[in-house]
Amino acid sequence: MKVIECRDLTKRMIGRNALNQLSFTLEGDKITGLIGRNGAGKTTLMKILAGYWHETSGKVEVFSERPFQNLNVSVNAIYVDDQMKFSHTLTLEDILKEAARFYPNWDTVLAERLFDYFSFHPKEKHDYLSKGKKSTFNMIIGLASRCKLTMFDEPTTGMDASVRKDFYRALLKDYLAHPRTILLSSHHLEEMEDLLEEIILIDEGQVVLHESMDELKEYALGITGRAEILEPLLADEEVIYETRVGDYSTYAAVKSDSPVIQKAKQHGMATGPVPPNDLCIYLTAKQKGGIDDVFK
Amino acid sequence: MIDPSGGRPIYIQIAEWIETEILNDNFKADDKVYSQYQLAEMFTINPATAAKGLNVLTDENILYGKRGLGKFVTTEAKAIITDKRKNEKLKGLLTEVALEAKRLQVGEGELTEMLQQAITDVKGD
Repeated sequence: MKVIECRDLTKRMIGRNALNQLSFTLEGDKITGLIGRNGAGKTTLMKILAGYWHETSGKVEVFSERPFQNLNVSVNAIYVDDQMKFSHTLTLEDILKEAARFYPNWDTVLAERLFDYFSFHPKEKHDYLSKGKKSTFNMIIGLASRCKLTMFDEPTTGMDASVRKDFYRALLKDYLAHPRTILLSSHHLEEMEDLLEEIILIDEGQVVLHESMDELKEYALGITGRAEILEPLLADEEVIYETRVGDYSTYAAVKSDSPVIQKAKQHGMATGPVPPNDLCIYLTAKQKGGIDDVFK
Repeated sequence: MIDPSGGRPIYIQIAEWIETEILNDNFKADDKVYSQYQLAEMFTINPATAAKGLNVLTDENILYGKRGLGKFVTTEAKAIITDKRKNEKLKGLLTEVALEAKRLQVGEGELTEMLQQAITDVKGD
């Protein structure tokens, strides 16, 4: 069954399209990474999927229904970010009780065990939690709700290294026991890439790449070689990324099936995989050159 | 970017880990190996990635599946792994050694001597 379907989904924001005819489909119980730079449209997309915001045009369906102000979607989908708002009058304990009342699959035992493990106090108020503690508490809500569609938007904001590790492990263990569709957004792909089955890379409101993690790892190859030999080889070919290293060397990333690779190997150049995080950076790089150009 | 040899896919690392377990006799012929879910939990990785590692070994006849029961070690597994490691890993390592020797202008005689020394060192352990 299709969990998410977007076709030509557009969201008009002040002066620009935050989502610009974005299309993709998500099926089955997978953990998917939503990757993109700041302002690429990750949050906008997830808020539309959660039914918080309505689309400007195009088609968007969650569990085959339009999500905006849809009760079925709001009960079966959860969107977690570091700005989740709860009533000022409720204590943490009250919030968990209310969440249990709202979400049909809520796991009280899991919620309480995580709550104790991360040393929360039942009478604390959400507003007074530190940034990292807020993220940790919100993560508990996100996991214990067991929603068929669970979305985490930059879930590890403010968490310290050990809590981040615990979060990823808790997420995986709960997913293994209760498979469901999980969408994780982050710009730190490297810290969660092992958890993901596939990624959706978005840039300027469009899907650039929707691939399985394994394919992404083999999508491109990096070549390092002497500039005067490598650069002519790259001249007429599709190059994902190219940079000078020092005065004489060039590093280039090309697709794994590019004819350049064979030629480079014949010249004795070193080739190797391109880490997924680097690849995503290369694929979404602005055409204005790099940070170095600012200082020229 | 600096180290082009790094970052091997996780499913290959999982497959190699199981191979090493078989070579070390931690799994013998007809033993059941870990399921994709156990591997996912052990290494904190996605179960689909773990499954891919198991499938690679099944395709190479190192494991066989019994529907609904899991994956088991074949009788030939150890021989296949040994053979494969000799042909791929060892030869690959030697090619790298030869390349590095060339870059450093280390001659055949010197290289052979170094290899013999390494063999003696390992025996001494």
